[in-house]
Amino acid sequence: MSEYDLSELGPVDYLVVEFPEGQQNFTGEIAEELVRLAEAGTIRVIDILILVKDADGNVDAMELSDAGDLGALVQLETELAELLAADDVEHLAYAMNPGSVAGVLVYENLWAAPFASATRRAGGQLIANGRIPIQAIIASIEADDELETTGA
Amino acid sequence: MPLRPARIGRVGVVGAPVAKAAVVTAAVTPGPSPVAKAAVVGAAVTPGRRRRI
Repeated sequence: MSEYDLSELGPVDYLVVEFPEGQQNFTGEIAEELVRLAEAGTIRVIDILILVKDADGNVDAMELSDAGDLGALVQLETELAELLAADDVEHLAYAMNPGSVAGVLVYENLWAAPFASATRRAGGQLIANGRIPIQAIIASIEADDELETTGA
Repeated sequence: MPLRPARIGRVGVVGAPVAKAAVVTAAVTPGPSPVAKAAVVGAAVTPGRRRRI
């Protein structure tokens, strides 16, 4: 991380993607798309872990390098910063259902870095951020439609 | 498989147990026409839509 100027760092996010038991269909497509995002300079992959939660709720964490044939992810794997600590595993796995596998991805939003830097240079401070769930958008649209229909 | 030693004993960056997010596919699959529903969502984030106050 020392080679990066912190003032130029883009926002760092994580996501946990769960693959429920019986619904797993790994074709390599995810890896290809992730590599594409990294190669395009959209994101920088900081860390990846694979979590497995058994039927009793016990969690096992795997390094990407222990996941077998990495395919397109080989190059990314060599550049991981291993930001996540063992303590994080339990916190991240909390959201998983028993019997599922999850991929954890930590990434820097390179696309946002120049904008974030410019905002900081202008004296701006990020005081809130978040994601609007699609469910909320649908609810908003449906409420709008209802309003137009009933005029209420 | 064990984690790499560098991860052990370090302070974590995820401060607390994370809550499960609503599953996105559940929002677009119900109803008579998921495709139509997806189109509605697309329209909602299309430039030019104005809020009603």
